[in-house]
Amino acid sequence: MDHWILLLAVLLAAFAAAQGAAYLRQGTRSSLTLFLIAGSLIAQTVVMWLRSELRGSCPLGDLGEIFIFSAWSLTIFYMAVGSMFRLSLLGVFTAPLVCFLLALAALPGMLDSAPERIAVIDPWREGHAALSVMAYGALGLAAVAGVMFIVLNRKLKDAETNDGLFKYLPPARGLIVVIHRLLFWGFILLTSGVLCGLMMETSVGAAKHLIAAAIQWVAYLTLILMEWKKGIPPVKLSFAAVVLFVLSFLIFPFLN
Amino acid sequence: MGLNHETAPVEVRERFAVPAEKLGEKAREIISLSALHEGVVLSTCNRMEIYAAVEDKESGIELLSNHLSMGHDDGVMAHLYQKTGDDVRRHLFRLVSGLDSMVLGETEIFGQVKQAYKQALESGATSGVLNRLFQKSFTVGKKVRTNTNIQKGQTSVGSVAVDMAEKIFGKLKGSHIMVIGAGEMSRQVAQSMMSRGASHLTVTNRSLERAELLATELGGSSVPFDQWEDALVQADVIVSSTGASEPVLLASAIEAVRGRRKYRPLFLIDIAVPRDIEKAAGDIEEVYLYDIDKLQKLASEARVSRAEQVKVCELMIDEEI
Repeated sequence: MDHWILLLAVLLAAFAAAQGAAYLRQGTRSSLTLFLIAGSLIAQTVVMWLRSELRGSCPLGDLGEIFIFSAWSLTIFYMAVGSMFRLSLLGVFTAPLVCFLLALAALPGMLDSAPERIAVIDPWREGHAALSVMAYGALGLAAVAGVMFIVLNRKLKDAETNDGLFKYLPPARGLIVVIHRLLFWGFILLTSGVLCGLMMETSVGAAKHLIAAAIQWVAYLTLILMEWKKGIPPVKLSFAAVVLFVLSFLIFPFLN
Repeated sequence: MGLNHETAPVEVRERFAVPAEKLGEKAREIISLSALHEGVVLSTCNRMEIYAAVEDKESGIELLSNHLSMGHDDGVMAHLYQKTGDDVRRHLFRLVSGLDSMVLGETEIFGQVKQAYKQALESGATSGVLNRLFQKSFTVGKKVRTNTNIQKGQTSVGSVAVDMAEKIFGKLKGSHIMVIGAGEMSRQVAQSMMSRGASHLTVTNRSLERAELLATELGGSSVPFDQWEDALVQADVIVSSTGASEPVLLASAIEAVRGRRKYRPLFLIDIAVPRDIEKAAGDIEEVYLYDIDKLQKLASEARVSRAEQVKVCELMIDEEI
């Protein structure tokens, strides 16, 4: 059952991405994109609820669940940030990433078909997993906003102003502000997750995960401190947000 | 019946102009003529038109011509055009859609027609025929503007520059504008930016007196020409149009303050020929440099795009007649 609903979530996100891009090519926008993403969010929530019922705990027990939780967190942040800052096209740029994460989760073997029910819940472990994945949502959306800024920056530099993409992309300064804030809140969540991780019981082989997590945390801290102290050219900041987010996925092979 | 920028030069148009607050009064004057039942008078800088509802077309035209010719010689009357029946409907629909304007697709005319009609209505100069005609024209105008690209893009260099600034900074509220050179063009651009919410303005010019004059006019401050580079740190937009033969703003000057600016975006508008801003400045990551050619190209693309929309608009109007 959860697999079918997951497929529905993938399809809705894929349709949102394709439909949004098609409208943009015609020089217009469609409010349907938002509804499709909202539909995908509902489907993701149902999948996570079904998985949590199976596990008897937070659904973060295998890679598939982590990807679904990441996509869910990204979508939630999109809904919040999109409406708070009125950033048009954020949905069109977010939908492909949500679709990609959900598609990864839907790959054979990613979701444990008969997950083991957790007998004793370790709240620190649950907190570590949930906060870290929520951080991925914020940092992922920072990367999406970074991509939008890079596209807009190129168009502004080349004076390419005639297509729908340029017309509907939010102003550059607004995108820069959003990237700053998402990086900051993503880092706060990430730090909270790391602190929970330090409190939880660790198993044999957790060292690699710890090292990868520490590198990721230090990298984001460095970026935020550099931006705060001296400032970073917006294009470099955007590239850094994208590259760090992509590299963050390297942490997953070290999960035990 | 009326005249516009295509049929009459300004020295003729100004003789027929009606003050904006007297359009209703003029409309009442028109319907006081026997055989003219309803009237609306429209007067803008580019046209003066009288719309009238009459029982008999011929006598109506004669009456109106006689009324308008009072105090004018025959030569002036040759500039007037007259339309009747469906031609009036088509003309008004084209007018509110911006197809008859000097700047194709401009939006101001819509409000001007609305104002003229409102004054005529309030003065009791309109009734069934013209009420229906004008209300229909507003519906058609909105439909044409919404469903076509007749308003797309900006057609003047100044408007393009302001639009680009808004694409970079969003609302200009809180933005700092700096003007180098106190020429007319930079005055216009700076004025547009201030009217869209920019809150700080600094003007610099070789003649400090002229800089002070412009700064006072636009509600900003002035700095001596040899000290303006310090103001670079605060500026979000720089408009430059001096008569200098060599660039006055060098890439190295911007490079020097990048750190102090914390790499905030900087929009450079160079409307001088020869150019005031070194081309290399545009290579700096957070700098967007637009010279006169780039701005004119964008304005001309918008004009071409609007012209391509005329046929589509005409078809929509034909459907409504």
